[in-house]
Amino acid sequence: MAYPMAAPARRRRRRRVPLAPYLFIAPFLAIFIGFSVYPMGFALRLSFTNWRGAGALEVTGLANYRYLLTSPDFWGSLANSAVLWLLVVPVQVVLALALAVALMKARFRGVFIATLIAPFVTPLVAMAQVWIILFDQDFGAVNQALGMAGLPAVGWLTTTTWAKPTLALLVLWRTTGYAVILLLAGLQGIEPQVYEAARIDGANAWQQFWRITLPLMMRSVSFYVVIGTLTVFQLFAEPYVVTDGGPFNSTRTAGLYLYDHITNSDLGLGAANSFLLVVMVFALSLASIRLLRAREDA
Amino acid sequence: MVSHHTLSRRALLRGLGAASVAGGLSGLSLTTGCAPRNSGDSQPLGVPSFTAPPSGEIKIWDRSGDLFKVFDKAIATFTARYPRVKVDHMAVEINAKLPNTLITGADVPDGAFYDDALVPGIAPHLYDLTKLIEPYRADIAPYKLGVATVEGRVVAVPWDLDPGLLFYREDILQQAGVDPARIATYEDLLTAARTVKGKFPSSKPLHLEANEFLGQLWIDMFANQQGAAMVDAGGKLALNSPPYLRALQWLDRVRAEGLGTLAKYFEPTDVATLDNGTQVFVPWAQWFVFGPQQLLKETKGKWRATQLPAWQAGGARAGVMGGASFVIPAKAKNPQLAWLLYEHLTFHKDGYTAVYGPNDVYPGGLNTSVPSYLPALRSDAPLFKPVAELGGQDLWRVTTEAARQVPGGYTIPVWWGKAVDYFGVNVQRMLNGQIGPEQVLKESSDQIQKNLIDRK
Repeated sequence: MAYPMAAPARRRRRRRVPLAPYLFIAPFLAIFIGFSVYPMGFALRLSFTNWRGAGALEVTGLANYRYLLTSPDFWGSLANSAVLWLLVVPVQVVLALALAVALMKARFRGVFIATLIAPFVTPLVAMAQVWIILFDQDFGAVNQALGMAGLPAVGWLTTTTWAKPTLALLVLWRTTGYAVILLLAGLQGIEPQVYEAARIDGANAWQQFWRITLPLMMRSVSFYVVIGTLTVFQLFAEPYVVTDGGPFNSTRTAGLYLYDHITNSDLGLGAANSFLLVVMVFALSLASIRLLRAREDA
Repeated sequence: MVSHHTLSRRALLRGLGAASVAGGLSGLSLTTGCAPRNSGDSQPLGVPSFTAPPSGEIKIWDRSGDLFKVFDKAIATFTARYPRVKVDHMAVEINAKLPNTLITGADVPDGAFYDDALVPGIAPHLYDLTKLIEPYRADIAPYKLGVATVEGRVVAVPWDLDPGLLFYREDILQQAGVDPARIATYEDLLTAARTVKGKFPSSKPLHLEANEFLGQLWIDMFANQQGAAMVDAGGKLALNSPPYLRALQWLDRVRAEGLGTLAKYFEPTDVATLDNGTQVFVPWAQWFVFGPQQLLKETKGKWRATQLPAWQAGGARAGVMGGASFVIPAKAKNPQLAWLLYEHLTFHKDGYTAVYGPNDVYPGGLNTSVPSYLPALRSDAPLFKPVAELGGQDLWRVTTEAARQVPGGYTIPVWWGKAVDYFGVNVQRMLNGQIGPEQVLKESSDQIQKNLIDRK
């Protein structure tokens, strides 16, 4: 008899929640709404206008989106970012994974990690200047080394063929340490007993890597691929300082192209460009995760 | 103690939803509120009428570096004249920060130093200074008045003038038997370059600019020299025109004959080839003098400056490349005090003398530009001293003679900076031998018209 009476009371308890937790999260919510939701809403509204920072907002409908989607400049900047992504992210994942695995067994691991992370914490503008000097066509150390080997000088930063790889090398040098740290954390999460069991079963080091390390690292790798994708598609400072988007706009990345709109006070177009980028980067990240998760499941 | 105040999850979500909608609506109204209510036109700033000695505080932005120190000293002459005005002088990355500050309206300075090429882009956020400039109008270099005027309104206090000059290696020309005084036209310059190359085969005597932005600025100097600009007096695109074609064809000949060194201004290749005799002639703004003074260790004292050659015999021997002015934002708290300061620096002798004359920072004076206020360009009262790094040459005489010849009628379109993506890039394609001058002008005009003018 008591059972039917108790049920409504439990339902009531489930439906009513204390106010206090919501008060605790209220400051965060206020900040989140004020500094994320509202600016995003404002930016979305801007993307349908031709506002240049002064005067009344004039709604132009989908004109900004239409312009961008038919603009060779927009697609060119995306293509530049896509090539940089191909040059940076896959290479970086392989390199960082190899370094992380090597560091797991290394003595003086802290020293190596500090060395690897140093480029990441060094001011970018200073490093970019070093890059400009190193890869100068006529007087850079790289071409001088090539000259000593009897090879011709290369226009590392002045030709459309080499500017992107040279920029990618800078990004790799600067951010691989960070990738190593992330993947190292993933590696440290793998229980040693798993390797012990594999060794008892006769698995050699290579088999342990392929059968244990790699599958168990897929989540960390997926996470880094997303971070790497965001990094490359937002890449701004490196091309801005090293090549200023040149030669002939060949290193004008999506981030740099977006910046151009802002500096020209073309805020409506800049906002539309931002939203298109968000959609594309989201789709790319999702596709990467799906692909890597599929391999993990297999 | 746990609060007894509870609410259902649904009620909370409903409340949040309602709040979001309300927030969204208020956000929209706020958004409208964010946008300035005016139509985007500059508001006129009236002539100051102080009943008592001017007093108050103004926040003034200048570029960091030596120029900031120079202005700091010059501002001291202003505060000596107006002791009740306090100037908060700040070193700021102005080009990066000012446009955003003007849009948000937060922490807006009362006045700022700003590149002429970028002024039209922020013109709607600036005070219209037409009435204040009126008494000085006849004494301002026509070129400078043109670039400070946007849609008929003077929106900046015209500061400096940066005439183009022909810098050359005195020692090399002597060895090659070239008399710089006989280089009167660009054809003469080409002939002189051939002579130098004949004597020194490894040289590529003429500088060709590889930076897209500076390259565009450089070619605009050649156009200005011929009385042209990217837009005509009516604001219509005029890039595909004989003055630009003439300049590009000349540069293309320099390239095709192997007479040019393509390098980015004062980057390692440029500095090295300027110092090792590869480059001998540099037609550039007066501010090139910074190189022999600070960067060119091997050839310090061997460079000289003369007027630019003319495009046609008897034509103007000067054009302008770059420059900056003072702007007063429409949201400034004390715009009239800012005007007083800029009036003092620009039009009063003790003001501009404090900037250009010898001081602690520049013992010989600031010699990278000259005032655009013509009464300051007196040949009998030089503001800066002869330049030791130019072999003691009287640069003041050379540059003021050039400054007086700069043609007016020059207008900077709002989209000038963005045009670098098209014209600046296409010029580089030409300097790399990929396309010809006609194609540069045709393609650039089409791209600018489509992407920058037609798209509203």
